Amino acid sequence: MSARVVAAWAVVGVPLVYGLVETINKASSLFTK
Amino acid sequence: MPAVPSFLARERTVAGPGFNRWLIPTCALAVHLCIGQVYATSVYKTALVGHFDTSLTRVGVIFSIAIVMLGLSAAVAGTWVDTNGPRAAMFTAACFWFTGFMVGAAGIGTDQLWLVYLGYGVIGGIGLGIGYISPVSTLIKWFPDRPGLATGMAIMGFGGGALIASPLSGRLMAVYDSSYDAADPSSVASGHAVMMLFLTLGAVYLCFMLFGAFTVRVPADDWKPEGWDPSQVAEKTLVTTASVSAANAIKTPQFWLLWVVLFCNVTAGIGILEQAAPMIQDFFREGDTSTVSAAAAGGFVGLLSIANMAGRFAWSSTSDVVGRKPIYMGYLGIGLATYILLATVGPSSTVLFVLFAAVILSFYGGGFATVPAYLRDLFGTFQVGAIHGRLLTAWSAAGVAGPLIVNGFLDSQGTPGELTADAYRGALFTMVGLLAVGFVANLMIRPVADRFHEPEQDGDARESAPETERSNA
Repeated sequence: MSARVVAAWAVVGVPLVYGLVETINKASSLFTK
Repeated sequence: MPAVPSFLARERTVAGPGFNRWLIPTCALAVHLCIGQVYATSVYKTALVGHFDTSLTRVGVIFSIAIVMLGLSAAVAGTWVDTNGPRAAMFTAACFWFTGFMVGAAGIGTDQLWLVYLGYGVIGGIGLGIGYISPVSTLIKWFPDRPGLATGMAIMGFGGGALIASPLSGRLMAVYDSSYDAADPSSVASGHAVMMLFLTLGAVYLCFMLFGAFTVRVPADDWKPEGWDPSQVAEKTLVTTASVSAANAIKTPQFWLLWVVLFCNVTAGIGILEQAAPMIQDFFREGDTSTVSAAAAGGFVGLLSIANMAGRFAWSSTSDVVGRKPIYMGYLGIGLATYILLATVGPSSTVLFVLFAAVILSFYGGGFATVPAYLRDLFGTFQVGAIHGRLLTAWSAAGVAGPLIVNGFLDSQGTPGELTADAYRGALFTMVGLLAVGFVANLMIRPVADRFHEPEQDGDARESAPETERSNA
């Protein structure tokens, strides 16, 4: 897989992972509070 | 519809030999992750109510206008998008989305709510519609072997956009307003902070969407994936190798049956999404208080967002294996059964309630993501983007019907904060009825009659012929 493809996936993947982590943290309160 | 400048022309975007098709989903995601922000408007809703000294309903109109414009612009601009290609469409969507934020910011800065309606609602909404359909046709052409996977990845981005925008907006508003605490539900940001947020998001989204626009390519006419045999496509039931124009597609019963399927599936999903946080608290209310805290209810909304997003990718990819009609029978049939369980067994356990709601929301997302591949199966790739655009009017209609049904039932049952699980039963069973209608509509879908197919001609001639000449079959 070319470096260009990896870089392009990083551009969209990093924000998506950030959003997922933040949301999972928020959702965890459903089972802890 | 106007022609486009040469640097955006479809001919300039034809991929050369050896182009890696896995770059295309990143372009689609770059657009959908940005426009998915529309589902994160609740983050600054209260701040706008305070800033404009108005009601939640009047601020909520901003979102409603944007969703209605999404459906209308996708329907109207669909053929233009298919004709001019994904770069022109993504570039145009980026300009509208960016301008929407800028005009919206001007409205907040000058205390003129109508300007926010015009900016974020109307102008931004046009960006939403064109952006939503911009990568669909291209993805299907790049992934004829796995169209469900391809469109699932893109439309997953629309769900993911809210997951990113929601926490990011909270943090940015805290930067622009030091008295605002994003972690405190009672804290409200200033209008200035929301204005700065609009300016920042607009600029960031413009960059991201332009990255998508200038990276995207269309495949050459004779391109096909290595090792893929197009003749296998025709062997599957309901999958056509013929072409149906957008003008002809809307004359077929298949289009309208699918319209009903999408409308019913989306309305049922919105029934839960619209009320998610108060709903879980009401289901587990004991006397005046709920056993589910406001923070936990917020967590429930987050969990539904993840289920919605995951369903878009997982179910749409699965449809490549099991087929489009069977998977919709699952969305509607299993969804119907799950809705009944939610209404009857749901109040007995928080875990079961969350599980049932998550399954329903995953089908809601799956329904959105699988529909472009279903359209490809029925009408071919010829003008699938334009047909998809027209079908999205079902989304706009569901966006009005879903909240009307739920709120109508709840309003007749009591006041917010005092409702219990029983108050939801009427609304939930109405959704069950709607899903049954959708299930029957899906069962009735048959292959499109030959009289709607475009005449056989070579690919180049068909691509360049004007629609009026093509669609009189």
